[in-house]
Amino acid sequence: MKPHRRKKLGIILFIAAGLSVAVGFTAFALKQNINMFYTPTQVAEGEVGAGQHFRIGGMVKTGTVLGATDSLKVKFVTTDFVSDVPIQYEGILPDLFREGQGIVAEGEMDAAGVFQASRVLAKHDENFMSPEVKAALDAAGASTDNYMPGGAN
Amino acid sequence: MWVWFSKLGSPKWFYELSGKWLPWLIAAMVIFMTIGLVWGLVFLPPDYQQGFTSRILIVHVAVAGTSLAFFPLMLVAGIITLVWRMKLADMVAKHAAILGAWFSFITLATGSLWGSVMWGTWWEWTDSRLVSMLFQLFLLLGVISLRSALEDSETAAKACALLSIVGCINVVIIKYSVEWWNTLHQVASPVSLDPSSPNGPQFWIATLIMIVAVYLFLSVSLILSTRNEILERERRSQWVQDLVLKN
Repeated sequence: MKPHRRKKLGIILFIAAGLSVAVGFTAFALKQNINMFYTPTQVAEGEVGAGQHFRIGGMVKTGTVLGATDSLKVKFVTTDFVSDVPIQYEGILPDLFREGQGIVAEGEMDAAGVFQASRVLAKHDENFMSPEVKAALDAAGASTDNYMPGGAN
Repeated sequence: MWVWFSKLGSPKWFYELSGKWLPWLIAAMVIFMTIGLVWGLVFLPPDYQQGFTSRILIVHVAVAGTSLAFFPLMLVAGIITLVWRMKLADMVAKHAAILGAWFSFITLATGSLWGSVMWGTWWEWTDSRLVSMLFQLFLLLGVISLRSALEDSETAAKACALLSIVGCINVVIIKYSVEWWNTLHQVASPVSLDPSSPNGPQFWIATLIMIVAVYLFLSVSLILSTRNEILERERRSQWVQDLVLKN
């Protein structure tokens, strides 16, 4: 390779390395801000300030969903299998909302420690199954509810 | 190897060679696209929770995965343009940006469709996967407008190569966003060879065929638009005029 070409290639590589390092540091510094939601454990450990508007993500704990009969009010508990946070919400839930499903709720903690949600979104995991496979797995007693929202972190 | 490399830089040589490849590439593209789309959109089994909505993902996954290839391609082309002054690489980079913007747009559109049904929202500004993908679309639009704004092709190539570096870093962020941060978007599905377990072959073989089809579509589109660009840039040269007279 001719010297002037090597020099040019060097400049390009230098810029690329510099930008990568800059972006890497920025992303690292903003780690918590880039996260979409807090886990119930993070909430229990007091990582969220009082009165703060935030999002919480976890699984809908099986057997905890209580719907009102005369309104759209619903109560349920979200969990990451370490800590639980009770959630209260009034509104239409996404079709995918059900027990054992991952959700992300947006709102605030009230004085009683109940999360008052203004929005509830359903999170879908990375597993795709046909109804036959799901039925076969359930019959065999294999757990298909092994999903942890957030994955890493 | 260097002879072959510098030969590839000759627009005339590329035009003739790509003319020989094109019919085969187009035939392969039509075959894969037909099998992938018919299988994916008509015969794919429904998901136990999503029903038939999961079929959107056949298109979404293939286009989204392919859309990550554009910035690396443009960076390589940009480096070749700047270091070896190969005009052909510059033409490829120019058209890759336009195609890449379309791919990014289709990724966002199909993803929104699926999200509006499954998540209950079509867009979330706080999801790093979604926002980094939108950033890629804006970067590509930036590259396109930069190129049309700068008349000097050397300056344009430099500016676009710089943006391509940023774009490549962003590609890494798009890819790993779902693992590094909490997102609404799910992580990549692990494939399974066992048809009786989640993500079995009945789901991913159709996706794989679509990915091949979309890559073939990308190659065919890129070659066709580069050939057009060659004819336009070299319209005063002898070989192009001969070609026009012959047809």
